[in-house]
Amino acid sequence: MENNHLLVSLQNITKIYGIHKVLDNVSFDLRKGEIHCLVGENGAGKSTLIKILSGAISTESGELYITGKKITSMTPRKAIELGISTVYQDAELVESLTVTDNIFLGDEKSASLPFIVDKKIQFQKAQEIINTLHMNLPVDSLVEELSVSQKQMLEIVKALYRDSKIIIMDEPTSSLGLEEKKALMKIIQNLKQRGIGIIYISHYLEEIFMIGDRVTILKDGKLVNTYDVASVDIETVIQGMVGREASAFYHRKKIPLGPVQVQVQNLSKKGVLHPVNFEIKKGEILGIGGLVGAGRSELVGLIFGIQQPDSGKIIINGKEAVIHNPRDAIRAGIGLITEDRRKLGLFIGRNLIENMALVHNDVFKGFIVDRDEEKELSNLMVEELSIATSDINQLVEELSGGNQQKVVIARWLLDDATLCIFDEPTKGVDIGAKQQIYELIVKLAEKGKSIIMVSSDMPELLSLSDRIVVMRDNRVVEILDNHQIKEEDLIKKFMGVEEKGEKTNADKP
Amino acid sequence: MQTNPNVKSPGVGSRTLVKNNKYQLIFRSQWFLLLLAEFLIAIITGIVNPRFFTVSNIINVLEQIAVLGIVSSGMTLLIISGEIDISVGANIGLSSCVMAIMIKSGLGVFPSFVIGIALAIFSSFLVGLTAHTFKAPSFITSLAFISVFQGIALAITKGSFQTIYGQAETIGMTRLGNVLPLSFVISLGAYLVVHFILAYTKFGRRIYSVGSNPAAAYLSGISVIKTKYYAFLFSGFFVGIGSMVLLSRIGAAQPSTGSGIELKAIGAVVIGGTPLSGGKGRIIGTLLGVLLMGIISNALNMMRVNPYYQQVTFGLLIIASLAMSIFSSYKGHARSGKSTKKAIE
Repeated sequence: MENNHLLVSLQNITKIYGIHKVLDNVSFDLRKGEIHCLVGENGAGKSTLIKILSGAISTESGELYITGKKITSMTPRKAIELGISTVYQDAELVESLTVTDNIFLGDEKSASLPFIVDKKIQFQKAQEIINTLHMNLPVDSLVEELSVSQKQMLEIVKALYRDSKIIIMDEPTSSLGLEEKKALMKIIQNLKQRGIGIIYISHYLEEIFMIGDRVTILKDGKLVNTYDVASVDIETVIQGMVGREASAFYHRKKIPLGPVQVQVQNLSKKGVLHPVNFEIKKGEILGIGGLVGAGRSELVGLIFGIQQPDSGKIIINGKEAVIHNPRDAIRAGIGLITEDRRKLGLFIGRNLIENMALVHNDVFKGFIVDRDEEKELSNLMVEELSIATSDINQLVEELSGGNQQKVVIARWLLDDATLCIFDEPTKGVDIGAKQQIYELIVKLAEKGKSIIMVSSDMPELLSLSDRIVVMRDNRVVEILDNHQIKEEDLIKKFMGVEEKGEKTNADKP
Repeated sequence: MQTNPNVKSPGVGSRTLVKNNKYQLIFRSQWFLLLLAEFLIAIITGIVNPRFFTVSNIINVLEQIAVLGIVSSGMTLLIISGEIDISVGANIGLSSCVMAIMIKSGLGVFPSFVIGIALAIFSSFLVGLTAHTFKAPSFITSLAFISVFQGIALAITKGSFQTIYGQAETIGMTRLGNVLPLSFVISLGAYLVVHFILAYTKFGRRIYSVGSNPAAAYLSGISVIKTKYYAFLFSGFFVGIGSMVLLSRIGAAQPSTGSGIELKAIGAVVIGGTPLSGGKGRIIGTLLGVLLMGIISNALNMMRVNPYYQQVTFGLLIIASLAMSIFSSYKGHARSGKSTKKAIE
């Protein structure tokens, strides 16, 4: 039935997380000696597709063929045996071993005596592969001494040693310099000539037009289209990535803005963030957008005292806030609702009261906890945020994702901050809870707070923000008034795609 | 704020969860099982040897577990905060030797005790300080300090017994109303203090939060390091008190005094339902854990079990309690929707 020259054929794949369809009936294939690019916004489903192919997760429905053979249950081990290798952004290598040892890890060549590794043969073989690819990769140095690009090359060598027919590259160029990028492109071309199929994921659309054969666009877990790169232009690709039904947008209440409440002046840290300046008015929601790795979390970290800036001031209500750590930030009236609830927000094994009242009790109260007050406040929050719980004594891990997020938000409502920073406020939250969290953010603005909202969700950014800060390459590129901005224009700015004829501010230092 | 249809479904789900919870809470809580075990052991021993239920034997048990209880109280704080100190035994050895030497030299009982307790606090603090400074687990630094404390104790005592018979017996020997040992009352005090800290104070909340999720605690404005230091200071204080009670009861000290108590203390805390990973646990569990240790020890004596095998029994008991806590944490995974299989992988 299946074509044999197809290395990979994914048919009608559907993957559901909870009530989210992260992949909805997606089909994808890869030919021999082809570079097939995969594009889409953050959260479009690219990584999920890759994970299915490499056996990290299973599918709800759909079929998977590798070189024409139907695979019923894929595991990471099986994927490797079938010749599928993934080159990750943050290479998964054993840092304390040499390049050669990493290549042969788990498959060491024995010398005449059993259990003894024949280093000589291993070095030779490793050198052979590296030579054929014209790489600059010393076989005997430790992996921890390698640069990021060398580590990626090592992953490619590993894949070749294992005789992989399919190599998946997930944002391979995002942390590379120009020269390294060029070298990598050459290597990819070389792989292609050997008949290896490459799935190439990148935010940088120019790269796709440089090396790609075909490009598949995903949006919100759905397949938009697959094009031959030769017969498509960048505009069409961008069009495909954006554009949504109106229902994806939330219609917020407009609030009259007050005077300037928060000022960030010249905030910077070498190698982390170029100087940033902005102001936020009372009741204003300032959205911060950009691609993954654009420096958004770093900006938040510097404001909240997680990292120390080299220079810059944060002024709240006319007073300069001296911030050395999160505690100082909280005292100055800043609250941070973190992106990763489980890792950075929740106290697993503790109940709702302790999770909600922690900051309130800790930073602003005396030695003894007022147990009546915290119970009262917790009940108030459960009611106000309509948190679905039976009892404030319930353990927080027993709640659903959306309700957990509300618990974290409640912690900062009780803290009564002037500036609330939301980092990806609705990540992994179902649609109903999403609406409620939006309402809540607007309500906070209405109460006269200033709000910073970092988001990768385009509709969210566009429908909630009063203004949008565009970040790219660790700098603020532009601050846009959110007045009839089109999604496609915004994503162009995120990616640094130049408009025809005119230049964006991207190239300003 | 209007309610959304989507909110209702998790609400229904959580209600059924709570129904299960009420039963589960009782059966799952380790202290309920502990109490059951204690009754069983007591009844069986009582049948085998009726002398078990005599007043003098019960008083004997209470006296035996007093020091362990005091040390375990501090250990509970430490383990909930995500740290551990296995040098508490050696710490007792050193501080009780110092107390005894000072009393012998005529310094007076009260100042000697105060200085000894201060030393115990300082020693415990060193464990925490080195762990933080050298970014090593406190398990390792405290392991190293066992050797340091014992070595110093050996050096200052020249390896000999420091006897102070009859000079500081009040704390160890007094029986309130001729029945209740004062040492046991002191241990009850230790439990109460720790309970108060954990349940009613800001410091208690910090200990839980730091043990549960240090990153989130830091982002909530809590100094993780300071909190852990305080936990070490408190633990050291209880070690000092335990040292004092022990010296007063025995009337003599030597460098090996207290050795082995660290395992029993950690065991009692773990058996009491506080996981070694921290963030959870209650002092009632520790109290019952200590009691179990005492009852088993006494029961084995009553049944004339070879003392060497008693040691084996305690080791196995700790292993069993670890197995129990692993089991209940897997159940937790299953309930939060993750498959147990995934958790293992």
